[in-house]
Amino acid sequence: MIVVRKVKVKNALGLHTRPAAAIVKLLQPLKSAVSFTYKDETINARSIMSILMLAAKKNSQITITAEGADAELAVRRLVTAFEEEFGEK
Amino acid sequence: MGAEREEVVLRGLPISKGIGIGFPVFFSGLDEDVSEGVISKKEIEEEIVRYRFALARSREDVEKLQKASLHEGTPEIVAILGTHLEMMQDPLLTSVMEEKIRVRQQKIETVFFHLIEEYKQRFSILQDIYFQERVRDIVDVSRRILNHLRPFGKVRMSEMPHNSIILAQELVPSETIEASSATVSAFVTAAGGITSHAAIIARAKGIPYVANVDIKMLKRVDLAAIIVDGSQGIVIINPTRQTLKKYSEVKRQHAEKYKLLKSATHLKGETIDGYEIRIFANLENPKEMDLLNKSGAAGVGLFRSEYLFLSNRRFPTEEEQFEIYKRMARSLRGRPLVVRVFDIGGDKKPDLLPEERDASRFGNLGEEMNPALGCRAIRFLLRYPDILETQLRALLCASRFGDIQILLPMVSDLTEIRKVREMIEKIRFDLQKKGVKVAKHIPLGCMIEVPSSALMCDALAKEADFLSIGTNDLVQYVMAADRNNPNTSDLYFSTHPSILRLIRMIVASANSSRKPVVLCGESAADPAMIPILIGLGIREFSVAARHIPLVKHTIRKWRILEACRLAEGALEYVSAPELKRYLAAETAR
Repeated sequence: MIVVRKVKVKNALGLHTRPAAAIVKLLQPLKSAVSFTYKDETINARSIMSILMLAAKKNSQITITAEGADAELAVRRLVTAFEEEFGEK
Repeated sequence: MGAEREEVVLRGLPISKGIGIGFPVFFSGLDEDVSEGVISKKEIEEEIVRYRFALARSREDVEKLQKASLHEGTPEIVAILGTHLEMMQDPLLTSVMEEKIRVRQQKIETVFFHLIEEYKQRFSILQDIYFQERVRDIVDVSRRILNHLRPFGKVRMSEMPHNSIILAQELVPSETIEASSATVSAFVTAAGGITSHAAIIARAKGIPYVANVDIKMLKRVDLAAIIVDGSQGIVIINPTRQTLKKYSEVKRQHAEKYKLLKSATHLKGETIDGYEIRIFANLENPKEMDLLNKSGAAGVGLFRSEYLFLSNRRFPTEEEQFEIYKRMARSLRGRPLVVRVFDIGGDKKPDLLPEERDASRFGNLGEEMNPALGCRAIRFLLRYPDILETQLRALLCASRFGDIQILLPMVSDLTEIRKVREMIEKIRFDLQKKGVKVAKHIPLGCMIEVPSSALMCDALAKEADFLSIGTNDLVQYVMAADRNNPNTSDLYFSTHPSILRLIRMIVASANSSRKPVVLCGESAADPAMIPILIGLGIREFSVAARHIPLVKHTIRKWRILEACRLAEGALEYVSAPELKRYLAAETAR
């Protein structure tokens, strides 16, 4: 199963180290392959370093693509995390 | 070329006198230009193993740090370190890195360098300070890993090209010790205090040094030649032809003056009225014995033995130590060799190779909250007595080849001397049973550099065979002023009234027990301090070999009575600035 969803970076500081670490941690128990696409670049969402590489600031549009048995769950959890600004609200 | 470059004069903190003219070399673990390190197919797997090893070591480091922070209850730091740990497990730093080594057939340092550059570029385009700050975590993690890849990847201080002006964020003693005045023309750093060990070494080697200079800014400038004036604390980048000419002339004059002083250094250090002051030499590197023998030194007053491993990154074995001490004792031909046992800790952090047997013991040394007040010097040695025992045994075995004396650093209680004396007697007994010849009497001395030992010096003078005043640390501990902190350097006065009183006290105690007392420390090489120290009763100094000509020259200008009067007058002053003014007026000659 493939799930694709668009999210907006809402927290003031963008996808810096802490949110990136939170994303990787959140995905750890899940099995799906998850990637982020920003501008023309697609990266592995399980890599802090790659997420940082996107240099996505506040209000950036990120496309989440998840593929696997728990893809739906993975995307749902990610969307919530983005919505809640990774606890930085 | 060069037409658009403009001469710029920067002001810093003068640390080591002299003029250095040369070309910039940025010295650091990461930002240096890594050459395209190509490896052969056969070497690929080896390179990957090397990388995995460094990565594992780095993880252990961070886990240890994290555990320590957990105890201290700093959740932010624990969280940051947690992120660093995760970065080290990140595919980009594990599988992707290994893949890159395979595909590109490059050394891991090169692959790393390109990765960091990529990040830097990406974030610098953003023109967003916060985003640029992010790179720091990546740089931090990379530096840790790269450090574990050393010594293969780093340009060593000993391998600098000629006329190098070393530009660094900061200098550590183990690196500074490797610099040669033949190749390194000057040091310029962002951080660093007047009495840091790196500074002491720079002065001993006669390498000009200016600190408090914005190195990061220099990295962004197009640099050609650099002039460093360590006496004035000035750094001139891209000097004009006239400036270059002027400073070359000053440099030539300095060299001539030093040569003149040196030509008289075989003379005794005698006052005008014939009192002899004995001048010994401080020594870090046994290879400099020849230089020392030419300097007119009465012997080695302080051999800082810890440098035997600070630069080699491993502890010397008993056999190796024995050979070194034996060779040194022999070349002194009966003149004393005072060996200070390993003074580890504080800003002398041992940077042992991770596979070294003793590396684990130092694990928590660097993490002390207050390293200057921590487990260093004799405290460390008594905690791990096998290191001290090995050193003592080597010293005892070498004792029959000359006049070897043993000095204990950072003694803060009498029992420390007694414990070491017991160890020495036991080792002597064991050696003699085996038929090894040991000198009848090996003097055991005590450093006075901690306030408690200065206050108890009468008792220590009875227990020890000689006293050695280490003014650098004594001033730091008495004034409670960090010697490496630029913000406390105003307080760090070697001429504070409290220090003069303590020195007088120590001399009196030593005299009444009829024990020699030697003063070693930066003040001993300061022409303004020498007469007052003589006046306070000091008759033996130990200074870096290259300062001996100047020290003797100063002594020969004074009469003992004048020096005593000067000291008496100085003891009347109760504040540092007043005392300083008095000394400046009275000692200029």
